[in-house]
Amino acid sequence: MKACIVTRNELTQLLDRLISHVDVYAPVREKGTANWAKISSVDEVYLEAVNSREPAKGFIFPRCELLMRFDKNGNPIVPAPIQEQILFGIRPCDARALKVLERFFVQDGKSDPYVQRRVEKTTLIGMACNRTAPTCFCFALGNSPHDTEGLDLLLTEVEGVFLAEAVTEKGEKLLADLSPADETVLRKRAALKSKVESEINERFDVKKLQGKLPQLFKHEVWEVLSLSCVNCGACTFLCPTCHCFDVTDETMRGKSARYRVWDSCQFTLYSRHASGHNPRFDSSSRYRNRMMDKFYYTTEQVGLISCVGCGRCISACPAGIDIRQTVAKLLRIIDGMGK
Amino acid sequence: MSRTELLRKRANELLSQGVVKLVLGYRAGAQDNVAQPFFATTPDQTAELIFDSTCSPNIANYLLKVKNIGRVAVIAKGCDSRSIVVLLQEKQIVRENLYILGVGCEGVVHNGEKSVTCKACQYPNPVIYDEMVDAPVEKTTPGPQVLKADDDFDRLTPDQRWQVLSADVARCIRCYACRQACPNCYCPVCFVDASTPQLLGKTHNISDNMVFHIIRLLHMAGRCVECGACHRACPMGIDLMRFNRRITKIVRERFDTSPGVDINSPPALTRFLPEDSQEFIK
Amino acid sequence: MGLFFNHQLPPNWTQESIKVIITIQMADNSDFQPKIVAFLCNWCSYAGADLAGISRIHYPPSIRVIRVPCSGRVDPFFILQALQQGADGVLVSGCHPGDCHYLTGNFVARRRFAVLNDLLAFCGIEPGRVTFAWVSASEGERFAQLVKEVTEKVRQLGPNKKLIKEIPQ
Repeated sequence: MKACIVTRNELTQLLDRLISHVDVYAPVREKGTANWAKISSVDEVYLEAVNSREPAKGFIFPRCELLMRFDKNGNPIVPAPIQEQILFGIRPCDARALKVLERFFVQDGKSDPYVQRRVEKTTLIGMACNRTAPTCFCFALGNSPHDTEGLDLLLTEVEGVFLAEAVTEKGEKLLADLSPADETVLRKRAALKSKVESEINERFDVKKLQGKLPQLFKHEVWEVLSLSCVNCGACTFLCPTCHCFDVTDETMRGKSARYRVWDSCQFTLYSRHASGHNPRFDSSSRYRNRMMDKFYYTTEQVGLISCVGCGRCISACPAGIDIRQTVAKLLRIIDGMGK
Repeated sequence: MSRTELLRKRANELLSQGVVKLVLGYRAGAQDNVAQPFFATTPDQTAELIFDSTCSPNIANYLLKVKNIGRVAVIAKGCDSRSIVVLLQEKQIVRENLYILGVGCEGVVHNGEKSVTCKACQYPNPVIYDEMVDAPVEKTTPGPQVLKADDDFDRLTPDQRWQVLSADVARCIRCYACRQACPNCYCPVCFVDASTPQLLGKTHNISDNMVFHIIRLLHMAGRCVECGACHRACPMGIDLMRFNRRITKIVRERFDTSPGVDINSPPALTRFLPEDSQEFIK
Repeated sequence: MGLFFNHQLPPNWTQESIKVIITIQMADNSDFQPKIVAFLCNWCSYAGADLAGISRIHYPPSIRVIRVPCSGRVDPFFILQALQQGADGVLVSGCHPGDCHYLTGNFVARRRFAVLNDLLAFCGIEPGRVTFAWVSASEGERFAQLVKEVTEKVRQLGPNKKLIKEIPQ
């Protein structure tokens, strides 16, 4: 696929053109960090933070989605069509996460129409990471801060200009009239890639983890690991792949609506049966559920582990829990079992 | 000996001598921002205990996890100890089951700087303890926790106040991290989780968001010790302390009580006096 | 604002939604008939309201009465829920202190209401939208007067735009 060199000016012009006829979202400055917002000018884009506070999952799987409205006569009214949207500056980990989400919701013969139509209308222009935050660990899982998985176009900043690599046809269309990339810039990019990957020290054998995790289900390690956890759910809400949801109906003064809202396996209410029985009542079973889901259950469901190493759960945790420590501990136990 | 070393020594002794079954304190969190609440059950585990400005979670919240284990030692700073007093008054924990290792605190960090709650802290030293680990810390801030920002806020018109608060609360994603981080929120079924009938909508409709925060705040009246755990837990950075400072101010000015300071002084909303103010009642 | 909401929705999730509601409901206040939910304690205030009725004392038909056993039964959540459901004002009335049928219910309520009153004022809910009163069973005339005052006050304040819950159009 096409690879081009894009100067700062050319990129600004490209973005200006896009902003004029499509909704473009990018990280902007918010309360000390960056967060997604619709931009009306290129000046608003803020890429100094390694990653945005919130992940991009809300663009295809909103926190609160209106599924349908109905009036007093009970006639359903389906919500307005979805607009085209471009996500500019999305990081490779978040783009990979969107691909994982897509696998859950968009499948042959049984797709979620709400997610599917959003996926079809979304174009992803990624920005490779040339530096990491202390909480990043994509490389530990075998992913790279320069990955193209899930993107339409990947931009990498190389000494003041951008290397633009098309990944899909959608991405290639954006590169019309731009000069092709040469060997020098590709070599420099390879050097940047190695350098940023070396900033992440951990290496996790995810194949081993997903193979042996089921055997740890009844292990007492979960009691110990979950002691600091208060099951607040912040990790699940900021995780780019967590996608549990609840469907709720609301009526107010003759108007009704059905919504899909995010739910969390960390909430006690999540697994409570109508009878009152709750198979995951205690904190340790809910903590275990999240870990098993990220590294094992999703591999059974869609063939992918759903942790992408973005590290948001680590920054968000009010009890200082680090998923990397948990994974390392689980791997140590697995190694111990082998002996 | 540094405070951490003293702490480790005492914790080790208490466990080795069988005085307690467990020592609840903090150990280093993996990112340098937040220490992890830690339950040491063997003497060698006490080597991991720390006490510094990263110890920001409210440790009393974790006492509720180990209520039935037997005697527990807990490392408590000023605000934690006041939460412990509130929990004792509400009979959620038993005094005989606690061995409180008090530590003075110079403030905890939040997002790389001193937490807003600590900038005007009135109780850096524990108000209840079985022994103090190290000398008490000097209190450097006078008077009740009053911020200029609060005075400025009071000067706004009702409509302006509503605009500011609802713009902040509109960002609430209803993750309930604030509720989970708070030691006072221990209801088996929280009002937002009620389902027959469902009391509050689950979407982040601005009306539901505001009602959630107002009602949670009302449930905190006379109980909130302004520790800031909720404020620091919020993944969206909502200014919860603005609300908390106000509810404690209302209770202090109306009923002349501060929660968690005196174990013999009943919480404000559990009692009444014939002469309670009623100027607002027609 | 973050993207934890469906930004394709007609605005109801942000500050903008509040402005939309204001535009829709902006009306000439003299035509505005406020809806006021009144929580009246069974033994005193409800009886007082009943006496006003029996005595054929006129007062505005603005209140919708909810009879509770005691003002102490009134959870602050009820008051907020009434506002969410579209009430323009809320009146809570109980026995005078010392006269509570259950001896201490209204004392407990008094502290609760004091806190709620101050908190609502802090949040920017206009003073006068939520009113508390002590009305005894013999105060029929006074009850009617109270309703007149509260109705007039809420009429001046206009429709409740702040806590009202809207389902998107």
